[in-house]
Amino acid sequence: MTKYSLGTSLLQARNLQPHSLEAAMGWHYIWLTTVCIWLLSLLPWRNWPVTPDILLVVIAFWSFHQPRRMGMVAAFCFGLTLDVHDAGPLGLQALLYALVVYGTQLLHRRLARFDLLRQAMHLIPLFVGAKFVTVLVGAFLVSAWPGWTWLPGILLTVACWPLVGWLLLLPQHRMDDAGTGIS
Amino acid sequence: MQRHVTLRLFRQGTAAEVTLTFLLLVAVALLFTDALWKSSNPIRQTLATAVYPFQRLVMLPKDALNAFDGWLNAASLIKTEGEALQRQRIEMAQVTTRAALLNAENEQLRRLLGVVEKAAERPAVVVEVLYEPSSPFVRRIVFNKGTRAGIAPGMPVIDESGVVGQITRVTAMTSEAAMLTDEAVSIPVQVLRNGLRLIAFGSGSPGKVEVRYFSSDADLKDGDTLVTSGVGGVFPPGLFVGRIDRVERSPASGFARAEAKPLSHPERNRHFLVLQVSLDGEQAFLTPSTPAPVTEPVRAPATGK
Repeated sequence: MTKYSLGTSLLQARNLQPHSLEAAMGWHYIWLTTVCIWLLSLLPWRNWPVTPDILLVVIAFWSFHQPRRMGMVAAFCFGLTLDVHDAGPLGLQALLYALVVYGTQLLHRRLARFDLLRQAMHLIPLFVGAKFVTVLVGAFLVSAWPGWTWLPGILLTVACWPLVGWLLLLPQHRMDDAGTGIS
Repeated sequence: MQRHVTLRLFRQGTAAEVTLTFLLLVAVALLFTDALWKSSNPIRQTLATAVYPFQRLVMLPKDALNAFDGWLNAASLIKTEGEALQRQRIEMAQVTTRAALLNAENEQLRRLLGVVEKAAERPAVVVEVLYEPSSPFVRRIVFNKGTRAGIAPGMPVIDESGVVGQITRVTAMTSEAAMLTDEAVSIPVQVLRNGLRLIAFGSGSPGKVEVRYFSSDADLKDGDTLVTSGVGGVFPPGLFVGRIDRVERSPASGFARAEAKPLSHPERNRHFLVLQVSLDGEQAFLTPSTPAPVTEPVRAPATGK
């Protein structure tokens, strides 16, 4: 497992070693994790308004990490299914997912220079902005402001980025460690 | 690990901006068609049918646990239920006697007035909660039966203590009901104490039903019970809706609004009853300017103006 110290982060040496980003992650691993989290999202644990949207983090993380394997269209489709499941306005979460994926791909080069924690900090405005847009659209459609509970919810969602990222990359770290002989 | 890094001078494939613009247009189109169609969006129905097997799949452990729990507790459950039924039977005996008396009296009065009594018996379907959707914009419950069980949008949903809501969308296997407190629902009601006819709407404040558009001198006060009036034909008359807990009178506008707390408890029950009212026939039978089913919420004043 790679340890990130403040020094290496500041020196930004990691972007000169693209192997941690471009190393082949099997498409089956990416889709398996995404579909599993999607299935988990269908369970009723998300009813608390502050619950983080783990699926959004996973999709955003893969779209940043493996942009060719997880694109905006896939994210949009996942969002649509959740819209149907949540009985909300059709297309609202799809919009959120597409916006977030677009944002992470736009910030790709910048994010690649940082470790997971700092990536999450860079992503706060993106996630909050995208969520705010969709909340505005939703409020316009139902002509009622749903309150501000979405704000802690989306902040928690971004806060999950380092943990989710670390978990998703565990197999790769293992592979790296085995490759370099570090146990 | 051997890696092949291909360096590209030009970007290949569709530009992200193009995809984003396309998806934005699709999202806007979907949002607006969804707002227009409300109860019969074919895209939503197709997606819902596709997602349904997965919804059931993830709920399998819960269902299995419930079944196991039910199997373990069957004996004690039957005992307590038997006791409750026994008690209820004794209580009901008094009510039945009184009801029979009132019925006889009522029939006589109706004969006197020449009123044709509508069929009181309505077919109904027992449904179970599949899950509660978590959208912040709506208050809904999804049930485990749909068009196959004869459920259609607009049908009222009740529990033992009164109206719970109204069916808004159906697929073949599931149906979605808007709670009383959902903005989409409007119910013609009557004050039990004096027969004042009003319309109750879902309100912005959570857990409350709102009564609007009545003149500020109307006889309505805290603690009044609202029952369905039967006007409009969708909700059968006499079902409990809520209890008034706040009346705001505005002398300036001459109108008042009141808030009521629903008497039903959708959060406590797992089973509900969907009343299979005929949604076309009976509406024609009654006054034309009445609230329609939730597919077209009517925001017209009930009294005054």
